[in-house]
Order: sequence, then structure tokens, then C-alpha cells
Amino acid sequence: MTLLEFARGPALEAALIIFIAGASWRFVGALLLPWRLVHATPRAGAPSAPMSAIKSIFTKMWPHKPFQSAGLFTFVNGYIFHFGLAIIVLLFAPHVLFIKGLTGLSWPALPNNVVYVFGALTLASLLAALAHRLGSPVLRLISRNDDYLSWLLTFLPVLTGLLTAAHLGARYETLLAVHILSICAFLIWFPFGKLMHAVLFAFSRAMTGVRLGQRGAEI
Amino acid sequence: MTQLAGFAGPVRNSGLAPPSDAPRPERTGMAQAVLSEIAARLALFAQTGAVAALELTAMPLTRADRAELADAVGHGEVEARIESAGRTEVFETAYSGVWWVRHFGEGDRIAAESVEIGEVPAILRSHRADIAAAARRLAEFCTRERDEDEGETP
Amino acid sequence: MSIEAPRAARPQTRPETLGEMLAARGVSRRAFLKYASYVGALLALPAETIPAFAEGLATARRQSVIWLSFQECTGCTESLTRSFSPTLENLIFDFISLDYHHTLQAASGEAAEDARKAAMAANKGKYIVVVDGSVSTRDGGLYSTIAGVANIDMLHETAKDALAVIAVGACAAFGGIPKARPNPTGAAAIDQLVTDRPVVNIPGCPPIPEAMAGALSYIVSFGKLPELDHLRRPKAFFGETIHDRCYRRPFYERGLFAEGFDDEGARKGYCLYKVGCKGPVTYNSCATLKWNGGVSFPIQSGHGCLGCSEPDFWDQGGFYRPLSTTLGDLGPALAGAALAGVALGAGAAYASRRHQAAYLKEPPLPAKTAASGGDRP
Repeated sequence: MTLLEFARGPALEAALIIFIAGASWRFVGALLLPWRLVHATPRAGAPSAPMSAIKSIFTKMWPHKPFQSAGLFTFVNGYIFHFGLAIIVLLFAPHVLFIKGLTGLSWPALPNNVVYVFGALTLASLLAALAHRLGSPVLRLISRNDDYLSWLLTFLPVLTGLLTAAHLGARYETLLAVHILSICAFLIWFPFGKLMHAVLFAFSRAMTGVRLGQRGAEI
Repeated sequence: MTQLAGFAGPVRNSGLAPPSDAPRPERTGMAQAVLSEIAARLALFAQTGAVAALELTAMPLTRADRAELADAVGHGEVEARIESAGRTEVFETAYSGVWWVRHFGEGDRIAAESVEIGEVPAILRSHRADIAAAARRLAEFCTRERDEDEGETP
Repeated sequence: MSIEAPRAARPQTRPETLGEMLAARGVSRRAFLKYASYVGALLALPAETIPAFAEGLATARRQSVIWLSFQECTGCTESLTRSFSPTLENLIFDFISLDYHHTLQAASGEAAEDARKAAMAANKGKYIVVVDGSVSTRDGGLYSTIAGVANIDMLHETAKDALAVIAVGACAAFGGIPKARPNPTGAAAIDQLVTDRPVVNIPGCPPIPEAMAGALSYIVSFGKLPELDHLRRPKAFFGETIHDRCYRRPFYERGLFAEGFDDEGARKGYCLYKVGCKGPVTYNSCATLKWNGGVSFPIQSGHGCLGCSEPDFWDQGGFYRPLSTTLGDLGPALAGAALAGVALGAGAAYASRRHQAAYLKEPPLPAKTAASGGDRP
């Protein structure tokens, strides 16, 4: 069995099974927890809990004014690589085919060269994020292995994807296999670490929104 | 991510073109590069007598490149046709010492093509082994003819 | 060009050299030079070596070749022998003495087997074995026999004193269609079975005829194997992928694909990646040499590359599944995984709720006793 056969076969199968099982587990586990979070009487005039929950998901997409000067790099750089990842994953023709193979859904893709530009931008943005984390004593203090591992497993697919597209560093079939294996590693780790924020961020924001909203604080 | 618009590898003159919306083969500048090499080799030959051959089949020339090169070197005084395991056409270009050799394979497709720099391309020369064999054959023929003549004379 | 003395290293197995043999038929040395130019271009040999290549062929003895056909479809032989007119491409058949070949030889039965053994004895250590078809190994190899002899035994017997073994076609090189799942005959590739002689693989289903003839000519003229890659394929023919030489590559880069076999994109000749083309991971010369004398190749005719010069190409998930998909259909497995995940999550949430309910309940008041005094405030 060649490396590519292994990557496209048993490796992807195992990784996708672990990913789907793990992510469903954590998502459903969070979803089915008790919803009544606040047992005190809401302040007069406070918005309803569901309203606060939904609203906070959106208001937290941009920092409140007092915090903008301190946290702007994280937000802007964060958006760059999040959008970059979305464009690469969802609008690159081979990736659209991958998703179509799994779900049957497909949509138009961008020209390859456009995606390569976003790939390079995303790579730079991820490196900047790491540099920012390592350069700040506070961030370094509060960073755990989970943070670095989640960063690495997000970075490697982007790097190996660009190398594969450029046919750089090894024979093409090896590059493609390594890229697919890096995705397998990402998928296997996803349900168990900080990468789950992709799903759980909504719950966290909702919880905070309800708590603050019931007390009449601005969300 | 290399752009290969118009590149077709060793060209097979099949006469069947890719579909109409395919990128049209364009001049890539290879003809100029090959011409420069021909010029350099010709100068070297003029000085030192060192012959050379450039295999065009193995070069990434598009049809347009080939045409550009053929136009540049032109035709000279000499044309030859060889029938040996299929047809081969040889002609001297407008530049003395620069010869174009075209080997045809089955169905008139170009099997190999080269530009040779020298007094005469290697394929036009008679090979020593063939000459030796021919000498023997001719000697036999003459002897046989003489014997027959002598036999007939009463 | 002067005559070189016949190389002393070549033993006198036959009375005449190829040059003498063709001269007797009225074919001059020019044919050798022409053939050397043709094959030399295919092999990307430097131009300076062409005269030596031609001389090597002309002064070589006719190379004894024993062609063994095992679990095969005869497509490789068909590919090599497409024309019967005396042209440039067929000179290879003059350069080799096909001492044994099931489909092409006149003899049959015991006479054929005797001819094979006689050729082996007369050219011990000097003959080339060409094999097409894979070898059955299960149950002693009884699923494929010739003259009552299992393929595996005939292979070992014939390859023992061979100069080199050339495994022609996907079946001989990698196992091919007999080896495809579930491989009922235990089909194996030649290089898995022959480990003490040099083996060259010329894969393809079938291989490009120029690749077969070119490799054979190289061995006949130079007496050694051409440069091989990690899968024992001659780099001259298998050094680049179809994708790297495909004329539709610009469409791939621009994101213009055919979605199906008869749609707008297909008619316009767009890239066939979406209908399963395996060009990016397939090493062969189809995009440059093409087939049937340079007429066309699969992609030019509108069908994606099957990857037929790569190992196990029958089991790569399907010819029409794009390269960027999983090998198999994972629908049921993933549905099961989702169900399992949901069940686990529900179970975890249930356990959490019970735990929370327990510690959120009011603790029971301590019981009133006479000793504790009056009423609680």
C-alpha cells in the first residue's frame, strides 16, 4: 500500500470517524446541558435570555471600544486567517470535490491561483499569530500545550497544501499524501482541544450574554 | 504551479489538434534560443572543425516555434531523400554547414528531427562497413560478368 | 564514421552482427543511425551519444529474447506489434530474436517448450526474459499453468540464467487486474518473485510501444539497463507525470473543469480532474508520445487518466472518483460515528444533569433534638 493509498484510505476513514464521533459527542453534550443558567430574578427591563444569548454571539464579533486598542491585532489577524482558511477549504476546487464526495453538496470554486494567494496570506497570518503569542509575556504565561498543538495542526495543512500545489520538496504523490495526513491529524485532534471553539464558541458567548443580560449590563 | 500554455513536449505531427478552445500553441522564444546555439556551434565548427547535432524532437518546441526556426534558417542549395527503414529528408539551410534532418516513421509522422552542424550530416555519408561490403559485391559482379562474357565467346 | 572492431566482450552466440544481418537484406547502416536518432530522442540521450548508440546496435549480436506470457490479456504484445510494414518502429523486431512467444511464434506444444529450453542453453547468461502478465502464487500457482508447468515455476526456471528480466505491462510490473481486490489467484508482480536478476518494469495497461522498444534497444546497444526510478521504471519514459505535460493544464490552473462527460466544459476541452483524472499522480509519457503513432491519448479524447502505469490502479477508489476524495464510500461509517457521538453526548449530558440536580438541591435540615434547645430562628 502506498502512502497516498494509506492517506486516502484507512487514515482518512479513521480520522473522519473520530472527528464526527468526537465533535457530535461534545456538541450534543453541551447542547443538552441545562439551559436555565441564572436562578436569580432578572433585572427589570432586561432582555429575555434567548435574545441576550443570540445578541452576544454577534456583538462579540468585534471588540467594544475600550478594548480595541489592546486587542486589535488579535481580532484583525484572527479574521485574516479565519477567512483565509474558509476560502481555502470551501472555495478550492479539489476541496469542493472532497466535500462533495462526503456529503453530495457542491458549489462553484475560485480559480486555483486566487486560492494560492489566500493560502500564502493565511500562512503568514498564522505565523504572525504564533509570533504574537510567543512575544507577549502574558500570553506565553497562559499558553498551554493545547494552544501550541492546535496552532501546529492548523498550520501544517496550510503549509503542506501550498507545497503540494507548488510541487515543491518531494514527488507530487508524496506531497499530496503528507497533506492529507496532516488533515487527518487535524481532524483527530479537533474534538479534544481548543479547536472545538469552532463549535463551542456559540455556547460560551451565549452563556456570557445571558448572565450579563439578566443583570442589565450592556452586551 | 508552472504555466504550460501551448507547451506540447516532443511534437508528434499527427495532424489532429486539441479541441478548439484549448490554448493555442504560441511562440515561446525557444526558437531564438536554439538559433543562438546553432550560431555558436557553427562558429566553433568553422574554427575547429568540431561537428555537432541538436535533437529537435527532444526539445519543448511548439509548432509555432518550429515554424519560426525553419523560417530563420531557410533553405539552401542541397536537398536529399533517403529511403532506409522509411523516408528521411535532408536539406542544407541557407547557412552553409547547417543541415536539417527529418526522419519519418510509420504513416508519415515525424519520428525524429535534428539540426546538424558539419560539412555533411552523418546520415548522408556512406558507412565504411557498407562500403566494404559493396566493394566485395561489385568485385563479385564484375568477375561474374567477365566470366559470362568469356563463356559466351566461342 | 569508422568501423569499430566487434566488442570482444560480446560472446559469439550467433554467427553475425545485426549490421551484417540487415546488410544481407539490403538495409544499410543508415537504418541504424536513423533508428538511433529516433530512439535516442525518446530516451533523451545526449546528441553526442547517438553515433555510439547506432554503432552499438550494428555491432551487437541479435539479442535472444524469451517472452513469457502469464496471467495477461495479450494487450502488451498487441501494443508492441501494431504494424507489420517494414518501418522504423519495427526495427526492434530485427534486433531481437524472439525465441519464444506464445502469440507470435509458429511452433506450438512440446516443440515450443523445447525451443525455449534450447535458446536458454545456447545463450546462457545472455538472453533477456520479457514477461507480460502476473504470476499466480496461491496453492502452488495452479491457477495459471502452461504445458502443465505453473507460471511461478516456469518464471524461476527461465529467469535463473537470464541477463535481465523486463516486466512489461501493469500485470507483470505491479500485479495488474489479476491482483485487484480480492485477488483470487494470489497474483504477484515479477519483481516480488525474481530477486536475484536485474528487473526492469515497463508498466502501463498497455505500455506505450515506444517505451518497450526504447528500453529493449538501449539494453541491446549498451549492454546495460537504462536509469530506473524507485519502482524500476526507466526514467526516460516514466520520469514525469501526465499532469505536468498535459495540454489541458492551463484549464486546471484557471479552475475550468468538465463536470460530466457530455457537458459544456467537456465539449470545450476543459480539465478532467472532476471526472476522476489521475494525471497528477501518474508517471508515464502519454501526454508527450501519445498513442497509435502520436494520434491521441485518453485526456485528448475526453476521458481522464486511469493511472494505469502506477501500482494497484484498479483499487484506487474508482476511475471516476476525483483524486481529492476518500478511497471508499464512507457514508455508513460516518453515519454510525455521528450516532455514536450523539449517544455519547446525550449520555454525558444526562449524567451531568443528574450530578447538577444532586448538588443544587437544598441540603436537608439537621434533625431537631432535645439537646439543641429551642426553635430555630
